[in-house]
Amino acid sequence: MSHKAAKIGVTSFVLLTAFGVLMYTTLGESMQYYKYVDEVVAQPATWKDKNLQVHGHVVPGSIGRKRDSLDYRFEIQRNGQKLTAFYTGVVPDTFKDDSEVVLTGRLTSEGFKATDMTAKCPSKYEAAAPPLGAPPK
Amino acid sequence: MASLGYYLLLAAFVVCAYAAAISVGGARRRSRALIESGVGAFYLVTAIMAAASAVIVYAFVTGDYSIKYVQRYSDSTQPLFYKLTSYWGGLDGSIMFWVSLLSVFGAVAVYINRERHRELIPYVVAVISVVEMFFLFLMIVHNNPFSTYLTQNPTDGAGLNPLLQNFYMVIHPPTMYSGFVGLTIPYAFGMAALITGHLDDSWLRAVRRWTMIAWLFLSIGLGLGMIWAYEELGWGGYWMWDPVENAGLLPWFTATAFLHSVMVQERRGMLRVWNVSLVIMTFFLTLFGTFMTRSGIVQSVHSFGQDPVLTQLFTTFMVVMLIFSFGFVIYRMPLLQARNELDSWLSREAAFMYNNWILLFSAFFVLFATMFPTLSEAITGQRITVAAPFFNQWMVPIGLIMLLLTGIGPLLAWRRSTIENLRTSFLVPTICGIALGGTVVALGIPIWSSGLCFAFAGFVVGTIGQEFWRGARVRQQTSGTDLFTALVGLVGRNKRRYGGYLVHVGIVLMFLGFAGSGLKKHETLLMKPGQVVQVGGYGIRHDRIRVTDDGRKQMVTAEITVLRDGAELTKMYPARWFFRKHEDQPTTEVAIRRTLAEDLYIVMPQFEAGQQSANIEITVTPFVNWLWLGFGVLALGTLIAVLPETTFAFAAARVPDAVKAATASMILLAIVTPAAVQAQDGGVVSKSPQQRQLEQKLICMCGSSGCVHSTLENCPMRPVCHGHTAQTGEIQSLLNDGKNLDQALAAFVEKYGEAVLAVPRNTGFNALAWVLPYALGALGLIVIVLTARRWSSHPAAAVAGGGATQIDPALDARLDDELRNLD
Repeated sequence: MSHKAAKIGVTSFVLLTAFGVLMYTTLGESMQYYKYVDEVVAQPATWKDKNLQVHGHVVPGSIGRKRDSLDYRFEIQRNGQKLTAFYTGVVPDTFKDDSEVVLTGRLTSEGFKATDMTAKCPSKYEAAAPPLGAPPK
Repeated sequence: MASLGYYLLLAAFVVCAYAAAISVGGARRRSRALIESGVGAFYLVTAIMAAASAVIVYAFVTGDYSIKYVQRYSDSTQPLFYKLTSYWGGLDGSIMFWVSLLSVFGAVAVYINRERHRELIPYVVAVISVVEMFFLFLMIVHNNPFSTYLTQNPTDGAGLNPLLQNFYMVIHPPTMYSGFVGLTIPYAFGMAALITGHLDDSWLRAVRRWTMIAWLFLSIGLGLGMIWAYEELGWGGYWMWDPVENAGLLPWFTATAFLHSVMVQERRGMLRVWNVSLVIMTFFLTLFGTFMTRSGIVQSVHSFGQDPVLTQLFTTFMVVMLIFSFGFVIYRMPLLQARNELDSWLSREAAFMYNNWILLFSAFFVLFATMFPTLSEAITGQRITVAAPFFNQWMVPIGLIMLLLTGIGPLLAWRRSTIENLRTSFLVPTICGIALGGTVVALGIPIWSSGLCFAFAGFVVGTIGQEFWRGARVRQQTSGTDLFTALVGLVGRNKRRYGGYLVHVGIVLMFLGFAGSGLKKHETLLMKPGQVVQVGGYGIRHDRIRVTDDGRKQMVTAEITVLRDGAELTKMYPARWFFRKHEDQPTTEVAIRRTLAEDLYIVMPQFEAGQQSANIEITVTPFVNWLWLGFGVLALGTLIAVLPETTFAFAAARVPDAVKAATASMILLAIVTPAAVQAQDGGVVSKSPQQRQLEQKLICMCGSSGCVHSTLENCPMRPVCHGHTAQTGEIQSLLNDGKNLDQALAAFVEKYGEAVLAVPRNTGFNALAWVLPYALGALGLIVIVLTARRWSSHPAAAVAGGGATQIDPALDARLDDELRNLD
């Protein structure tokens, strides 16, 4: 019986270690830090050239698009801190002034180069609750 | 009305409490009367929940906007069909729908098993009642669907989100809920067995079929969700490892594991602790999935919003449930000893164990990765996210191993496989696998991971084909019938096994679909009118942008011509629809050209009507349709396994020759018909302005999925759409008869009803038209079952008519024996 227990123990130990190591290495490659704009702006040196997701609001009037292209340049902000961002591609419908976005990409000296953009849309599945006291029209 | 609904919920809560208490009391005192009373109260809950559902549906239909829930999820312009389905459009209503479903499922399960498993029933009633009480409590204190505005009743509703006003979104949630709720029943029986100590295999027999049905609902629900994502969201894929999707997948893994390991317990009396733990875990994961997506602890693009109260209530219930359930498992451990030990690591039961480990590991991994951002924030204070690539990195190899095991499992013998039988049984499948894998790699498909996937798929199909062939041969030899009859008889005699193999075929088809998505070609670009691009062998030309309005929404449509080798292949119409009141959330109308080999998928995310230019996203994905086909085969296989034994009683009889001929011709007809429809694709006819005007005003009535919502003019399915062809023909003949516009319109309304008019457009009718094929399918199934029963009741007559010998009961018994030994 103890022989069997030892066998099971060793097997599970080896398997668990293997999985743990695999998990750790793969996680390292695909991890992205999730930060708010003001956190990133406060310590640019820390976050430079790391896989990053930045969460913030689009500064009204900052969205610019190069003519006849899908190149966007805009600013995102949180608590008064602003960050310039670049993105090439199709933007979500909800991407507009003041909308809440999460950008995935890297921080460079020119600004945040985003490879992916998600626009938060609180009313996608749950209709937004009407503000208190204001009867819906 | 609202207070009536609320009081009904309160009443249901009280009756549930009564049912739980009186059942446990009755069981402990062995009082038949008390137990009966508990069961009666349990049925009463179903009635009360039906009444409460009727109240909310009534409120939706009559537009009682003083009820907050009704106000938020419907409006007066919504078609009746969507008003009904707004019931489960939001959180509060879906909890109520959940309880209603659970009460129905519970009542049916108790009714069916009330005699056979009498000793378990009181505790089954108690467990289900407690679960219902939790959800009712949630509604009463926190998520009351009947809460009203205290002052200033609004006169109209906010309207259901346009994304949800879609046929798949109508049937996807109830299917998912049926799956989730159905998995509560096995849990209740498992707990009842643990509490009473009746831990022989009888509780397994009671829940086997239930688990299969719930599993089927869950699978179809996941499939519908994928179809919806593919056709509505417009990003070219169907699965992105979003927490909401993962929540549905988690219990699917454990339920699949249970369906497999249950066979080991039935046959060999092993894995008994494991099975009951799987049932508990599956139920826990259904709760956890709901909790994860609804409480806001996980960030998702769906963002349901944070809800600390809900989080607390759910956490408390889940913790109590886990402690209670596993506490009983530990308490009953002495009764759960395995009757046998594992003889060899190269046996069928070992294969089932590998399968279970992998499925469980998948569940664990998906749970871990989904929760990772939350976990990392809790532990390190840094929110670290992982995205779809991380999931794929792990799940692709895991999926491939699972696929390979699907092929290996059936080839191993129970208890122990000898080298001899390994050699004979692995030969054909291995050849199949190498042949298919070699072919696709030679065709230029990369070996990792699509090529391997094809090789494994070939291996599995080889295995299954061999199983069917060998079984049918044995049956043919022993019963002396022809191969076809033997095959039908084989499946009928051993529905669970061969139905299961059919499910495996479905899984293989799905994996081919997954392999195809690895070979996807994607292109996003800004196109000016007349510009042509080449993507995956297609030439895509953007012609122009057209803006139309049908009263409920403004539609911006890009006209795209698809070319192959310079010749026009078809036209496609990706669009953006701006629904009234939801102008800031336009819906993306994807244009898809489907073939078995690949889908051409075109989306127009942005446009500039002034310049007529548009952003066009083009995706060419091979084999997508194999995935949907796989779900169909899976459903068919599960149905065969689930159907009652009598359904296949006819299999014992010889199938008359006439029937065989009829079946063959029907199959032939089914194959030929779509081809005939395709062939109707006619030449281009120039149209008069009047005809064009009419085509704008009339809706294509063919009812196929591509056409719904579209006018004849921009029906995306034309010109192959049969309804379209018929209707344009009618327009032409009416105009030729000298009718003016209004007369022609009137003629159409007379023939097709109001719904044919684009304004006012009645989606409700169209949605009904969608249901029709399913209804016809169901009807067909009923006819087949009835016919089958008829044949089976007169086997002697049929056989005598054919001049063949009647089946000898002794022969039959011997055959059964041999089939059993085949296992």
